[in-house]
Amino acid sequence: MVDNIGIVDTRNIISAVTDTYGIDLSDYTFTILKRRLIHAINTFGSHSADDFCDKIRKKAITADDFLYTISLEVTEFFRDPSLWRELRDKYISEISRATDGRIWMPCVTSGDELFSLAIIIAEAGLQGKIKIDANCPSNKHIELINKGGNYDQKKIEVSEANYTRYVGKTQFASYYTLSDNKAVMKPQLLDSVTLEKQDDILNSAITRKYKMIIYRNKLLQFNIPLYDKVIHKLVDSLEVGGYLVIGNMETLEYSEASKKLQVVNATEKIYKKRVD
Amino acid sequence: MNDYKAIMIGGSAGSFQVVSRIIAALPANYPLPILMCLHRLKHIRSGFVEALSIKSKLPIIEPHDKEPLKAGRIYLAPANYHMYIELGNRFSLSTEDVVNHSRPSIDLSFFSASYNFKRKLVGIILSGANKDGALGLKSVTDNGGLTIVQDPKECQVPTMTTASMNATKVDYVFSTKQIIDFLLKLA
Repeated sequence: MVDNIGIVDTRNIISAVTDTYGIDLSDYTFTILKRRLIHAINTFGSHSADDFCDKIRKKAITADDFLYTISLEVTEFFRDPSLWRELRDKYISEISRATDGRIWMPCVTSGDELFSLAIIIAEAGLQGKIKIDANCPSNKHIELINKGGNYDQKKIEVSEANYTRYVGKTQFASYYTLSDNKAVMKPQLLDSVTLEKQDDILNSAITRKYKMIIYRNKLLQFNIPLYDKVIHKLVDSLEVGGYLVIGNMETLEYSEASKKLQVVNATEKIYKKRVD
Repeated sequence: MNDYKAIMIGGSAGSFQVVSRIIAALPANYPLPILMCLHRLKHIRSGFVEALSIKSKLPIIEPHDKEPLKAGRIYLAPANYHMYIELGNRFSLSTEDVVNHSRPSIDLSFFSASYNFKRKLVGIILSGANKDGALGLKSVTDNGGLTIVQDPKECQVPTMTTASMNATKVDYVFSTKQIIDFLLKLA
């Protein structure tokens, strides 16, 4: 069991990943990346950072498995219930009335927020009127989410409490089935969702503009230069008048792209695009 | 003594009154940043800073992700995020899974702060009901920093301080008053 790695180990792994998979992790937040790499080292049964580098360079670990393993978790359904109430009460119906009411959720990993969004749309009776384009870093994420995910009891307990605070229309338990003490969300919640792989948000072309982009607690994993590029990409992908939603302790203030946005809800971190 | 760059405090059950007393004793021109990771309810985002601020002469802030660390401020780990200090003295936050049943985790905050500040960190563990913080305080020792625990005899719940003393050889076991006197000497 490896419980710590140093800065040199981290750099060596970053090099191996770049050389082998063409994925650049050099501008990721050091502490978070280090912890994810330690998790990956142990998940893949390596006994040291050097051993892990060897496995990567020998392609004993696929890029897909690597991306699946190091992806940052989002930890609860309906995390920050007041945000989901706000979306339900003030934004979802507006988006449904648009000619092409689409919401983009890049970098979906555990699927918690995707299912949360799908539930509020379903409870508003707007399923089919709002399309969700969601991207996952790996095919493994997509396969798992398409099957309804696989959530442990602890997460479900927290999520049920969140759902109660959100004040949903039913019981959270009505949205999942239990199998071997794991919760599997009802896959039909995703009927209006298109899930595609996107291992790097910056590498994809902007093919359409969105009414809303939900990108909560994802900017945490980037250092400021990469964070700035990602925010530019998000803002460029929004329609004028469209909304960007980030995590409640995230900020856009270190990016020039924030000048194109106005704050519409400072507490829930909802921004509206002013200009193109 | 004046070589220290930051003070990191961890606490849980029974620590609120102690932290309040410490904060109230610090002058408005206290020169070092104080980083606090206190166990708190995950779903209640507001109220804690306000409660702690009542007697504080220093601004108390829940840092946003990537916010630069500044002297003369007290930083409180926000609800439902782990709080790290990155090289370059910026905060980073994380939604990773709970550690020791906690998010924020005291261990994780101490690990990053001790890695960043090395021997220039003072780590303090107060009253608490689980062992979160024990390995964090050990990391302060391992990186050459100075370690203090609240005297277990004074703690409402001594589990955290006792676990810390079992995990590492602490430099001082202090009462709340002694902790305050020590911090004032650093100014």
